[in-house]
Parts: sequence; structure tokens; C-alpha cells
Amino acid sequence: MFSKRMSSRVAAILVAALLLATMGLIGCAEPEEVEEPEVSERETVKVGVHTSLTGGLADYGFAAREGIKLAAEDFSGFVVDGVEYDIELVILDDKGEPAESPVVAQNLVDQGVVGVIGALTSGNTNAALPIYEEAVIPMISGSATLPDITEEGFDVFFRTCLRDDLQGAALGEWVIELGFERAVVMDDRGDYAVGLGNEVQATLEAGGVEVLREEGQEGDTDFSAQVANMRAFDPDVAIFTGYHREAGLVRKQMVEAGMADVQFMGGDGIKSDEIVDEAGGVENADGMLSTFSGFSPDDMPGFSEFADRFEEATGRPAGPYAENNYDALGALITAIVDAQSFEGADIIAALHEIEYQGVMGSFGFNEIGDIEAPDKTGIDLIPRFELKGDTWEYIG
Amino acid sequence: MSRIRNTSNAPALPWIPRWMLALAALLAAAAFPLLVEYGVIQTVWIRVGTRALVYVLLAVGLNLIMGETGMLNLGYIAFFAIGAYTTALFSSPRFGFEVPFWPLLVMSAGLAMLAGYLVGLPSLRLRGDYLAIVTLAFGEVTRYTFNNWESVTNGPGGIPGIYRPTVFGYLVERPIEFYYLILVFVVLAVLLVANLKNSRVGRAWNALREDEIAAEAAGIHGMRAKMVALVISAAIAGVAGSLFAYYQQFINPTYFVFMQSVIIVCMIVLGGLGSIPGAVLGAVVLDSLPEFTRQSFSSWLPAIFGRDFMAGWPDFLRTFFLDFDQYRMLIVGLVIVVMVIFRPEGLIPDALWRREVHQEDPREQEHTLQTLFDIEEGKQDLEV
Repeated sequence: MFSKRMSSRVAAILVAALLLATMGLIGCAEPEEVEEPEVSERETVKVGVHTSLTGGLADYGFAAREGIKLAAEDFSGFVVDGVEYDIELVILDDKGEPAESPVVAQNLVDQGVVGVIGALTSGNTNAALPIYEEAVIPMISGSATLPDITEEGFDVFFRTCLRDDLQGAALGEWVIELGFERAVVMDDRGDYAVGLGNEVQATLEAGGVEVLREEGQEGDTDFSAQVANMRAFDPDVAIFTGYHREAGLVRKQMVEAGMADVQFMGGDGIKSDEIVDEAGGVENADGMLSTFSGFSPDDMPGFSEFADRFEEATGRPAGPYAENNYDALGALITAIVDAQSFEGADIIAALHEIEYQGVMGSFGFNEIGDIEAPDKTGIDLIPRFELKGDTWEYIG
Repeated sequence: MSRIRNTSNAPALPWIPRWMLALAALLAAAAFPLLVEYGVIQTVWIRVGTRALVYVLLAVGLNLIMGETGMLNLGYIAFFAIGAYTTALFSSPRFGFEVPFWPLLVMSAGLAMLAGYLVGLPSLRLRGDYLAIVTLAFGEVTRYTFNNWESVTNGPGGIPGIYRPTVFGYLVERPIEFYYLILVFVVLAVLLVANLKNSRVGRAWNALREDEIAAEAAGIHGMRAKMVALVISAAIAGVAGSLFAYYQQFINPTYFVFMQSVIIVCMIVLGGLGSIPGAVLGAVVLDSLPEFTRQSFSSWLPAIFGRDFMAGWPDFLRTFFLDFDQYRMLIVGLVIVVMVIFRPEGLIPDALWRREVHQEDPREQEHTLQTLFDIEEGKQDLEV
């Protein structure tokens, strides 16, 4: 008797959990097109795309994939040793799960890709790196911003996005420049938000700003406890380092608690148009400030043209890190042409020497694989944005 | 007593003894990497196989508390996390420790056991759904602890660069070596659980599962027996976590989310609660199915039927098979519903469970009638 009741209860719990999980996945899933093979006399070479097309960051994965596809169109037909090559993308989804990431990596290695663009998140990049390192396949991520990754001593890793510590320092310096003296720094306990928040806090404390550190959890909807703490602290600026959904709710609840005059700031996680609605309308959101971990539009002469092409191809505005991923593939192919070789070691050597001109402007890589611009260094690279009405405007 | 022994040794496939099936499965598992070595299938299968073996360890361990003792545990992944983090912290550049393989394996299992003991003290007094809630909370608390205890665990950033283990002077490095290393531990765990199952304490677990009050009235120390089950299964998960951390070389808290606990429960429910071969089969099937469909529809079938073999198919079928991954959980849920209705004992059932869930089983009725008849005739004594 007991067992029969137990198995149906277990089943009910499992089915509920599985349904939730599936909805999460399918809700974010992008239909995968079947790519038609083109009839071509030219040779083809495989490049891996290691990204997350399902799971919580599927919108970032979509933007990355579409950016890479545009680059594959543009860079196909490159010449190595007098032979013209087309790029065949091998796109695999790691579902945003770190346990799946090594399987995807091994799959790409098995298929003989010459290089890999990805992974999408820092965690999945870390999980896959040992495999690419062993196979000596260069890996260029357009969005893995965790500072540690390039410090771990992997030879194969490069990235076309700026590190969280750089953005954190820039965000902190900006707060100091604006003359604020009491700051709340809040994160959502995700790897991105915590890294960024720590850096902001360190910068502020070094600059003599008094800091209250608060944290929520990604997915929370009620931040009243944190808001009450903030109110008791009486800050003049609040910096939220997580993503826009929670940031909007925090802002809304701050306004409701009578803290409308506290300046609201954040990193690139809040730089989304959706934050206006999430914060409860323009009157709450107007005047928010954010930094971004890509180059500023001033430094990216090709960006507006790229954004138009992206929208034409996908019907959506150019998503986060789309241009970083475009340039990741661009840099990889340029390095192959420079090296005149498909050997991993040769490509890696060429990537260190590269002077690449792409959508993001001209850049290269330093000795540990971080992106480097020729004319600007350090926090000057980080652009600043202000939410004016319901659009983010670049302010320098 | 004799009644139980008779039925629990009854084979699932009556014409082949179970030990031969187990041996065949072991041989298949041991020979499988040769397919990769000789290039029949790609290297990725070693990684899928290794991960499946880790899940087999977890399923076999969870089966001990859920299947044998009947305690619903929705936070089992926490013990796995404790084992993995112990190994990561003491064998990585994080703090510069490099504890050798065996002591660290014992430490990982030991800390998981300690956690099991501590969480068991209050929670084993609860039953059924309440225990499920407490274990669920324990799983989440453990993950949040690893996520928030930044000074030690590096928080959400995780711990990269876990060193390769040296086992008996031999550096385990390649995926295939990890495969065999973990396979050895799977065999050990299966032997351990199989023997426990037929031991005195195993009988006590089954009795507690059937009817706790009656079992305690018959002289079983319920709390102690359940604690033994919980601590041993925590140790198995701790070992699995340690091996997984060595193999993966990187861990962060997102490995240990609640869904992982649910998936392990699914594995043993599908395979058959209380059944060791069921747990093994459930783990292997559920873990490798997505990669199997992915490979089938992206490389094997196109190789046989030509690249465009799906061209004439309706769109929804094409997306279904190409993105099977997304629908995996939906299908598993459906299969579980169907199974609870038609085959609640699982794919490879444990004999005792099968009897419990099919009380109207004619064989069982016949058996009971025969027993009653024998008692009346004086051929058999009344058993308690």
C-alpha cells in the first residue's frame, strides 16, 4: 500500500519538475535551421560554434550565433596556400549546463574543427577549456568576461570582450567622478554579477566612498529586505551589477520605498531596453546610468552598418555581444590567413601578433589572450550610457 | 524470511540467471571504449560514457535510500557536491594543496558521510513528503553555501585547474583512463549495495519501507537502520563527486542545481525502485540518450541515407529530432506517467517491489493461497 502511494507521489513531483524544466527550455528555444549545403568547387573548413541556444541565456546565444553566421558569409573564400576555402559552421548547444560543455567540446574536436568560437558563459568556457587545450584548438569567446579565465595559463584561449574587472573599475571610477559618497553595491550571486560587484566595491573603497554590500538571488522578485537595508543606510547611489530583470525590480521597489532620488547605476547586464518596463515605466527608469564591456560606438566605425545587417538577417536588433562574436570569427580567419596554416599552434601564434580591423574597430590580443586596442587602454575603453526616456544613449 | 528470499532471487528474465546478465553488462561496459579506440565511434562517446558512469554511481547510491529504505530524497546532489568540492579544494591551485588521490577520496566520502549524518539526525524522524521537503531544502542550502562562501569556494566563479589524480603510481589523464577508473568504482559500489541488500540491515530497510511501525515492533531500530542507509549512500555520492571533479577539472555551483537531483530520481524510477540493474539502466539511458539522438540525426543516419534524408519530412518532426534535447524532459515525464499506470515497478523491477505494486498479481495470490493451505495442513509454520 505504502509503496503504491509513494510511487504515484514521486511520479507527480517528478512530472511537475520536468514540465517546469521543459518549459524553461522550450520557451527560450530557437528553431534550428537545417543548413542547405551549397554546391561549391572550393574546399571547406570547419569552425566550431560552442554556444548555449537553450536555457536561461538563450537570447545571448542567439545573438552570438547570428553574429557568427554573418561573419562566416563575409569571410568565406579566404585563401590559404592558393586554395580558396569556405567556412562550414558546426553549431552545438551546451544548454548552458557546465556538465554538457565538455561533451560539446569533445564533439567539436572529433569533427576536426580548426578553431572554436565560444563558449557563451565563463563557467562553460572553464569546463571546456582543458579539452581544447589538449587538442590545441584555438578558442575565442565573445562573451566570457570572468577575469580568471585568461589568468589560468591556457594557451588556446582568447576573448573579444572586455574583462569584468576592467568594467568594474570603470564603473567605480565613474561613481567617484560623479561625487557620490555613500554607495550601495548589489549583485545577484551569479558569476558575472559577483565578479563585477567585487571590483566596483574595491574601487569605491579605495576612492574613499562608503559602501554597503547587498545581494539578491537571480530569479527573486521581492527585494524588500535589501531595500529596507538600503533605506537605513541612506545612500546617494545604488549600483546593481546583475541583469536587467532583477535590476528593474530593485529600482521599482526602491522608488516605492521613497528612494526615487537615489541615482541607479549598473553594468552591461542592465543595458537592455526591457528594463524600462521592468522598473515600472519611464518615470522610474529615466536617468539610469550603465557601462558596457564592449568598445564604445565611437570606437566602432562599422557598428551601425553591422546592426542594420543583423536586423535585416534576423528581424531583431543586434543583440548583446553579437559584434564581439562576429569579430571573434573574423579574427580567427584572419589569423589563419596570416599563418597560412590550419595548425592550432600556428593559428595561436598568429592571433598573438594580429592587427585586426573589424566591426569593433581595430584590436589585437595581449600575451594572455585578452583583447587590446591600439589607441586606448584600461578603463578608458569602457563606454558610458544613460537611459534617456526609454532608450540608452551613448554619453562618452 | 524464506518467503522473501525465494521471491527476491527470482530473475527478471526467467531463462537467464541475473548474475550472467550482470556479467554481460560489465563486459559490454568494459569493451565499449574499444569501439572508440578502433575508430568505430567518435571520442565524444568516451566522455558521454564517463559521465553516464558517474550518474550510475549516483543512481545506485540514491537507490539505496529511496528504493531500499523508501525515503524520498530530493537533495541527493548535495552529497555529490560536497565530494566534488572537497576534492576541488584540496587538489587544485586554489589554496595550493595537493592531497594524493586515495586520502582525498576518503576525505571526500567522509565529509559527505558526515553531512549525511548531521542532516539525518533531525530529518530521519520525518516521513514521506516531509522528508522530501527537508532533503530538497538541504540540497539547495548546500548549493547556496558553495555559491556564497566566496573566501573558500570562489563563489559562482568556481574552481578551475583541478589536478589529475595519480592512482597506484599511474597518472590518470586521458578520458579513457577516467572511464576505466570510474568503472572500477561502479563495480565496487554495485557489489557493496547488492551485498547490503541481502544482508540483515538490507532486510531491515525493506521492512521499514513496508511498514515502519510493524518493523519497529518486530525489533528493528528504525532510526539506526535508516541512518546507515543514508550515510552509505552519501559516501557513494561523495566518491562520485570526487571522481567527477578529477575528471572534469573544473566545478562551479551550477553543476549541483535541483534539476540534477530530480534527474537522478527519474533514473531510478524509470529503471525500477530498489533494483540495481534498473538504476544502472536508467542512468545510462537517460544520460546518453540526448547525445545518441544528436549523433543519429546529425551524422549516422545522414551517412546511411544521404545528407538530405529528412528533406521530405514535416517541419515539426525535423525540429523534434534535431532538437530532441529540448524535449527530453517532456518525454521522460510522459514515460513516467505511463509507467506509473502500467508498469509501476520500473523497467527492470526488483522482485519485492513488483509484488508490492501488483498485489492483485495472480502468481502472488496463488502463492499466498498455497501458503495458507500449507499452514492449515501443517506442512509449514506460520511466519511473522
